[in-house]
Amino acid sequence: MIADALPGAEVEVIDETGGGDHLRAIVRAPQFEGKSRIDQHRMVRAAVRERMDDGSIHALSIQTTPA
Amino acid sequence: MPANPELKQKVEEVLNENRVLLFMKGTPETPQCGFSMRVVGVLEQMGTEYGAIDVLPILGPLREVTGEIADWRTFPQLYVNGELVGGCDIVEEMAESGELAKLLGVEQPEGATAQPQPEGAASPQQSPPLQVDGA
Repeated sequence: MIADALPGAEVEVIDETGGGDHLRAIVRAPQFEGKSRIDQHRMVRAAVRERMDDGSIHALSIQTTPA
Repeated sequence: MPANPELKQKVEEVLNENRVLLFMKGTPETPQCGFSMRVVGVLEQMGTEYGAIDVLPILGPLREVTGEIADWRTFPQLYVNGELVGGCDIVEEMAESGELAKLLGVEQPEGATAQPQPEGAASPQQSPPLQVDGA
């Protein structure tokens, strides 16, 4: 989902509890260049918003870096 | 679903009244979520005064409000000067890097820095010791 929204992004998702609903996403994307950290997180969250809203992802930690 | 205008107005008022405001699950004394607890920990370490709002009783409607005002729908959320700083991840990163202390106008507390500042981060100016309430 994240890679679809941010073409060219390198995405690593770690299931922190093994339950599939507490995830950590490590995202490196060219689109982050020049964006504030909060905007970078907004971009990632927007990509997975559906899954956050329906509760299938309960918690998402995000680490972002510009490519 | 559009945000409830009354609630939105109330949130904007509270943001105006509190320079540092944390929306969290539970209260600083009894946080109901690990992420909220971690942000409380950071704020306590910074020794800054802050307001805290327990989002649990009004979770759904409040999500709509923060979605509209800050494009952010999960909690905790830390606001400084009415601007969303971020959730737990961003707050912790900024606490480690020293950005948060700078934003809050406090000295970087000892033990909060994980990495050395690369650009030699101009040695901090001498300033009077901070009064830390309740520490």
